[in-house]
Amino acid sequence: MSDLLELLVSASASGCIYGLVALAYLLVLRPTGIVNFAVGEWAMIGAFAAYLLSAGLGLPSILVIPGAALLMAILGWATEWSVVRPLVVRGAGHLAPILVLLGMLVIYHQIMLWRFGADQFPLEGPFGFRRVELGPIAGTPQSFFIIVTTLAVFGAVWLFFERTVWGKSFEAVAINRRAAALMGINLRMVTALAFAGGAAIAGIAGLLDAPRGSLEVNMALPLAIQGFSALVIGGVNRVEGALLGGIILAFAEDLTRRYVPIPSGLSLGVTPLLLIIFLMVRPNGLLRAREAG
Amino acid sequence: MGALGQLGMKWVLRWGLVTALLCALPFVLQPYELDIYRKLLFWVALAVSYNFLFGIAGQMALSHFAFAGIGGYTVVILLTQADLGLGLAIIAALLLAGILAFIVSFAATRLEGFYLALATLAFAQLLIVVLDEGGTLTGGTGGLTSYSLPAVFGTKIEGPWYALVMVGVLLGTLAILLRIDRSWFGRACRAIRDNTEAAAAMGVDVARTKIIAFTLTSVMAAAAGMVYAFFDNTVNPPVFGLENAFLLLFMVIVGGSGSHAGAIIGAVLLKLSQDILEPVVGHFHAIGFGVLVVAAILFQPKGLIGTWDNLRARMKRAKGGKGVK
Repeated sequence: MSDLLELLVSASASGCIYGLVALAYLLVLRPTGIVNFAVGEWAMIGAFAAYLLSAGLGLPSILVIPGAALLMAILGWATEWSVVRPLVVRGAGHLAPILVLLGMLVIYHQIMLWRFGADQFPLEGPFGFRRVELGPIAGTPQSFFIIVTTLAVFGAVWLFFERTVWGKSFEAVAINRRAAALMGINLRMVTALAFAGGAAIAGIAGLLDAPRGSLEVNMALPLAIQGFSALVIGGVNRVEGALLGGIILAFAEDLTRRYVPIPSGLSLGVTPLLLIIFLMVRPNGLLRAREAG
Repeated sequence: MGALGQLGMKWVLRWGLVTALLCALPFVLQPYELDIYRKLLFWVALAVSYNFLFGIAGQMALSHFAFAGIGGYTVVILLTQADLGLGLAIIAALLLAGILAFIVSFAATRLEGFYLALATLAFAQLLIVVLDEGGTLTGGTGGLTSYSLPAVFGTKIEGPWYALVMVGVLLGTLAILLRIDRSWFGRACRAIRDNTEAAAAMGVDVARTKIIAFTLTSVMAAAAGMVYAFFDNTVNPPVFGLENAFLLLFMVIVGGSGSHAGAIIGAVLLKLSQDILEPVVGHFHAIGFGVLVVAAILFQPKGLIGTWDNLRARMKRAKGGKGVK
């Protein structure tokens, strides 16, 4: 039983990471319709940024997350400004920004490989490798930290969408781009903010994930695929969907790995299998869009 | 005369020359160059069929290399573990690839844009998982090795002669797709790519056209993969993984998606630059692919072939201008 409970904690932590990556997809996808496959690279770069800020600059750990998130927001903004905006202005097809971001994915990845190599950087979370017990629930401090931080991020994003004019304008653009523009919403600003926010959240996902396993350049692609799977499972229509999808995906993965008697290599097939099933059977995800009004 | 006469002497001459050149090259190349040459042919064959799928039919699938892998692995497994004859093994492998492609193609009828890309990417990943965990059947992560192509009618096809098989697959792929591209089917594919609703309204059976395009090109990929399996008498999972699937996509974009010549140019350029640069700068050469793709989409969505067409048009205009003077 305690074994199961401990598994649930670590699975929840994984689910939170996937949920954050899914949220990074969602922030860009909702207002712009662009599936940004480079979020995995953004997560990896965010993890390295945090590593450099804390180990290199010696920044106190409380400032590392905001610092890395700020750097990532700048990177996201710069990406939007340099390669996405020209395509939107020109009115290129809907696939063009997606393909250009695939190209950027390769550029990010190769620059990071060139700078840091493919080696794994052993990384210690801010809390070391202790064990925390809350009644019957036990886990690593990093797991609890991930869960708390993720809930905070989701809470902030939820408040942003529900309580601020900017959040409402995001929703308006998602529902009807042209009508939103006619109502005086600045589409450029919304797109730029979406990319900046998406990159910041992806970066947070990466820097939370790295101390659990290892910090390495090749952590990017798995995160991109798992995050997208979480997004598809939860549905692209609502912020909560990203978290729900992440949790479901992580539980499916971890429970299969732990309790289903198949070679551990085969359990890697769970994510692609779930992705295919949901894309084919329920392409809009589990959560339905909220009624307008 | 008949058919040949209709096609015209110029056509026969041009393609005869190309065929002769492609067939003659293996016999003058050094062994190392020959290896690069036949792998280049393999990539070009895949790029040509992928261009039809992505550039002409508008289906952004990332499963093309997976189907090459299915073709290669199946034919080897049937030959060495099921003791089938070569002809039967080839037919069975193509059939299996066709059936799998037919099943996967239903994703293409339901998903658009990058959603199809990720569904097919998931399929490709599943295949890699199966290959990695297939035990003795697939050889696990190390793949299958030390088998050889059985003799055909008592002769062993080796060295430069085997490169001709790849030339045959490439030219066959190209011939079929060029022919189809000019038929109603090719026009239906382009119509669906450009405006699915309009195509459907004009009476094009969208689902059927998509399924046929996906299945046909995937079987072509499987055929190329079968030939590839006997290049070095080894097949392993990484070759058919995601990295190459993305590279194939980049080749078609850089060369000019939707254009057969563009796909060929893109494949030759990117593959050769990889072969030349990788020993010098290591894996870092791949950054060039990213830069080329970004540049192509930002500045020349029609790819290198588009630049070439523009250049030719400008030269023609310049000539014409002089004539008027």
